[in-house]
Amino acid sequence: MPHAFLLVALIGSALGFTFAAVSSYDFIAHLDRQVHGLHCSFLPGLGGTEAGESGCHTTMMSPYSSVLRDSVWGGVPITLPAMAVFAFLLFWGILIWQSPRVHDTRATGFFTIASLLPVVASLGMATIAIRELDAFCKLCVGIYVASTMTAVGAFGSYLRAQRTAHEASRPNLSRGALGLAFGLGCLVVLTSAAAYALSAPDFTRFVGSCGKLDKPADPQHALITIGRGSPTVLEVLDPLCPSCRAFEKRFARLELSKRARRELLLFPLDNSCNWMVDRALHPGACAVSEALLCAGDRVQEVLAWAFEEQDTIVAEERAQAGSAGQLARRKFPFLASCLGSSKARAKLNASLRWAVANKLPVLTPQLYADGTRLCDADTDLGLDYMITRLSGVR
Amino acid sequence: MGRAITLVAGLILALLPMVMALSWEKQAENRLTAAELTPTHAPAVAVAQEANEQYCTPELKQILRRVLTSCGLIGGGGGRGCQPLEAKNVATMEGHDFNALFVPMKERGAIVQFERASSELDATSSALVDRVFADRAGASYFFVVARASQDGATEYNRKLSEQRAQAVMAHLHTAFEDASLDSQVGLLWLGEEYAQLDPSFCEWPRSGSAERCSADDLNRSAFLAWIECRL
Repeated sequence: MPHAFLLVALIGSALGFTFAAVSSYDFIAHLDRQVHGLHCSFLPGLGGTEAGESGCHTTMMSPYSSVLRDSVWGGVPITLPAMAVFAFLLFWGILIWQSPRVHDTRATGFFTIASLLPVVASLGMATIAIRELDAFCKLCVGIYVASTMTAVGAFGSYLRAQRTAHEASRPNLSRGALGLAFGLGCLVVLTSAAAYALSAPDFTRFVGSCGKLDKPADPQHALITIGRGSPTVLEVLDPLCPSCRAFEKRFARLELSKRARRELLLFPLDNSCNWMVDRALHPGACAVSEALLCAGDRVQEVLAWAFEEQDTIVAEERAQAGSAGQLARRKFPFLASCLGSSKARAKLNASLRWAVANKLPVLTPQLYADGTRLCDADTDLGLDYMITRLSGVR
Repeated sequence: MGRAITLVAGLILALLPMVMALSWEKQAENRLTAAELTPTHAPAVAVAQEANEQYCTPELKQILRRVLTSCGLIGGGGGRGCQPLEAKNVATMEGHDFNALFVPMKERGAIVQFERASSELDATSSALVDRVFADRAGASYFFVVARASQDGATEYNRKLSEQRAQAVMAHLHTAFEDASLDSQVGLLWLGEEYAQLDPSFCEWPRSGSAERCSADDLNRSAFLAWIECRL
């Protein structure tokens, strides 16, 4: 049996590997461009899958869950190198135990330093989860705990080795051997990531496969324009649709969103103004859409408010018809004269008619880059990859 | 023994992340390919299109198409507006049958009333035009059917009803600054000769007061309605 500290480090490494593996599995499953539930549990792989919004879902869909998203559809999940790091730490723990090198201060010191890598990464990811995502995923928390266990166990092993160094029957590992081990660890991490990126399915056949705008011209100024750059990115949205809110967050984190010419087409899924739906999927969406059309230069401010207060607006409108408009007027008094006016209604109608002229699908959100539609399956993990190709960057 | 265990563990652990990731990647790719080859049974997403209300019977559509084509709104022929006799000819029906076509549009229409011998829109009438026009929803065409009462000469009334139709059109241009108005708004001026409104239209939204609803009052008017038919 290994001593207690080493045992903790070995269990921590094995747990970390397992949590990272389950998370990687969930991520990679999405390469089939379909919707999947996630194993969002403190018992990795044992809890059932969870569909819909969860901390794990938010984290996985965020740009922080993977790297190289422009080059690989979805990017390379960061849990994949994490798997490799934990596998290496597990190997090193076994080496210390079996060789045996429990009295080797260099081997255990190296173990301690290597185990700090997942701790530092965990601290970084936890900070992002708190400050940026406002979401904690159970698998990630599992990785944070496993990282801590590994580091504590490794450091304990090092302290123990210092105390018992005189019992060593063989000399410490040479610096050359440690350098070789370091190189091996890097190689394991890099080869797993590189092999994954190189063998990713070819998604280029889906670029532009979901249609184009029939009549992109906008003589009636139905579209709201934000920015003047390139490419032109058109978002078809309902300000009270939760998917649009989530999409907006993902889109805002793209580098492209800062330089693109953004156009918004308001398409409220509310039958009080939209004849294409038979009921109000998002009650109050017509009034909030009018507010956006009335907002002029402050449209981004009004849109941010609508997304922020989405649940409240819908709930109040359900309880009392007309509340959405009142909330908008209360928050933005300058909208009072325009909201509900004939001109505002006509303008919103022009937006809906633009959708008719272009034969758009009756759903939100939709995104068009320079007139070509982004497929629905590419609006989350594949967003960066597809949008860079649709907009001709690649 | 310990060295052998370490070596085997090292080899397995070095390759495991890559092997697992590539295996999951391959599984996903196989599902992706299978999904592409399998015809989808998911319900097709509706496509945005104009409204087509229940009252849009094939007969009504046929007549609307004739009127709209003849009056230059579809097909690119003719000019804006129809002469009274032309309207009668293309509609090929009696006046009361022509009016009956518009009855289902009561919720989407209104009657703008004018003073005697006048084609000027007062503030109430302008507001009514704005309200009805802004409430377009999914309708395709806006009809303005102007009339004149039967006092005065036929030719004069024909001219007066045309002026009333044009007054509504001019107001729409001013109020809505919509470049596509000419392809949306159909003007018909019927003078006193055809399809005079009967008192049942007093129940429609009107700009005139409740008392101003004699046959003459009703026909010194422009009838407005959005047509929610896909032609």
